[in-house]
Amino acid sequence: MLKYIGKRLLLLIPTILIISFVIFFVIQLPPGDYVTSYVASLSAQGEVFTEADIAYLREQYGLNDPWYVQYFNWMKGIITKGDFGYSFNYGRSVWSVIMDRLFLTMGVSFVILIFQYAVSLPIGIYCANHQYSAGDYIWSFIGFLGTATPNFLLAILVMFWVYKATGQVYLGLFSKEMLQNGMSWQYVPEFLGRCLIPLFVIGTSGTCGIIRTVRAQMLDEQTRQYTLTARAKGCSEATITYKYCLRSALNPVVSGLAGSLNTIFSGSTVSAIVMNLQIQGPVLLAALKSQDMYLAGTIVMTQAVLVVIGMLLSDIALAWLDPRIRFSERG
Amino acid sequence: MEQDVKKTVPDHDETIIEVRDLRINIKVDEGTLTAVRGVNFEIKKGETLGLVGESGCGKSLTSKAILGINDKKCKASGEIIFDADGLGRVNLLELDPRGKEIRSVRGKQISMIFQEPMVAFSPMYTIGDQINEATRLHITKDKKKSKEISLDVMKKVGIANAEKRYNQYPHEFSGGMLQRALIAMALVCNPKLLIADEPTTALDVTIQAQILEIMKELQKDFGMSILFITHDLGVVAGMCDRVAVMYLGKVVETGTAADIYANPQHPYTQGLLGSVHKIGTKNQDKLFSIEGTVPVAMNLPAGCGFYERCGKRIEGVCNVSEPELVDTGCGHKIACFACTGCPNAKKEGKANE
Repeated sequence: MLKYIGKRLLLLIPTILIISFVIFFVIQLPPGDYVTSYVASLSAQGEVFTEADIAYLREQYGLNDPWYVQYFNWMKGIITKGDFGYSFNYGRSVWSVIMDRLFLTMGVSFVILIFQYAVSLPIGIYCANHQYSAGDYIWSFIGFLGTATPNFLLAILVMFWVYKATGQVYLGLFSKEMLQNGMSWQYVPEFLGRCLIPLFVIGTSGTCGIIRTVRAQMLDEQTRQYTLTARAKGCSEATITYKYCLRSALNPVVSGLAGSLNTIFSGSTVSAIVMNLQIQGPVLLAALKSQDMYLAGTIVMTQAVLVVIGMLLSDIALAWLDPRIRFSERG
Repeated sequence: MEQDVKKTVPDHDETIIEVRDLRINIKVDEGTLTAVRGVNFEIKKGETLGLVGESGCGKSLTSKAILGINDKKCKASGEIIFDADGLGRVNLLELDPRGKEIRSVRGKQISMIFQEPMVAFSPMYTIGDQINEATRLHITKDKKKSKEISLDVMKKVGIANAEKRYNQYPHEFSGGMLQRALIAMALVCNPKLLIADEPTTALDVTIQAQILEIMKELQKDFGMSILFITHDLGVVAGMCDRVAVMYLGKVVETGTAADIYANPQHPYTQGLLGSVHKIGTKNQDKLFSIEGTVPVAMNLPAGCGFYERCGKRIEGVCNVSEPELVDTGCGHKIACFACTGCPNAKKEGKANE
């Protein structure tokens, strides 16, 4: 098992290198560069640039080199110095921009992930065990609705309802006081309260998807011969549900872990903008719009790395769950 | 206990299980399908009853009804009287299928082995874990003791290297070995009745013979009764004391295995036996086959279920009322007007109800 994990970790290196190459290539594809968009936005405000100014800016930012040279320099910086480049928008290093929001982003993602599984697994199991009951129909209805509703729409609706009900506007994770006075323990309850809406909104679509998967898988498992064998042996229904059905049913759910990690991370951009969340998604969007290429590249690459690591984690979890996978790895 | 009950001479007095007028309805989209239409049989101590019939005649449903493990869509009525330890004589159909009582019967007093051993074990757990689960449920919670008991029964069914095999997963077993493991799991609690639902159908012929041999030996050792479900008449001849032939959810002929083979009466039984290939016969003709197909057990017309396919049918009799099992002597019972004579007026009225 350790050998397998080691092998997988080694494979990560070429995978990430290739991903970084593709990312960089795609990001520089649109015509123009940061200077073009910078000049355009300042010209709109009445600034006048001469050709010489523009050339100087280009020279300064190293934008005159061909893209593969830029890529090479970028990678060299990352590998040798851990330097992810310079963010033109923020005027400081990319890493410091990312670090501003990294922990919050990961925290939000992680909590949402836990929320999704904690809510959807029991509901999925309930629906399978009570197929075609009123409860099953209600949850199925909510499940389809949740999957079909765009998150940002849900965000707007929920914020509207909360405003109607409480008269409070919950925008963002931090209140004005928090930002002014800095975080302290007295704000924790309010902070947690402010987390609820994003948690609910961003978590819903994933939750509903998992409910459907778990339900279908559990129903499938219940018709298996070994479920019948277990019942004929005298096992209780709880043993059958949790020991026999659930463990097999988890297989595709765990495989989907990597995907849902990514969905939360990048898919929540629009909702994050609507809810004014201080997480990575909106920064990425702004960086892409202004062709702040090192920042955009680094954020996309972080996501890619997260997905790759998520996949590794889900593979390890699968091997732990299913002896057949465990053994085929050994051989 | 009754270690030395001889298979060939069953203890006539003690009936282990009695099935009385068992009916099973299945709800399907098109309506209600009556898959089992009043089955009667009993099994005595140490005896093997063969339940024979083609696919879809209700034999598997009947056997699963005994354990109460049929699908929720199946509704069983009638009586299955079993003399259960701790419960006395109970009608198994009246027990809550999810309740404690039936679970104390399942696996301990009545256990079952299935047709396809390859899918009868969960791929997620070791064979040992799954056999031991039965031991722990019904015999002892003590980990060491239960493992010993489980290993012991694994050795008894002829699993070599049982200690090593105990920790292996189903995908590391061959089909024959899995069937042995399944038998071990069924026998670990020394049940009174073993239901074997086509236990050798999915295995190749040499393994079949081994498995049957093991079952016979273990029956001698444990003194249990067996309900042997199969469509393989060759297997029945070697395994069973008595045979019940099922057609379209009903028993159409029952008697001792010797009787049925030597003197089959019901046209369906005759057809079944005629369709078995016999080695050494000079007959160059095609193997006999029964014409037509089994009708769907929904909105059945009046009369005998076999009427359309029967070579001996009597018009105006067989398609008017359904024959009941009639004893022709020595316990050989047949449900056929052509064999037992036309029904009297009273019986006709009853069957028409």
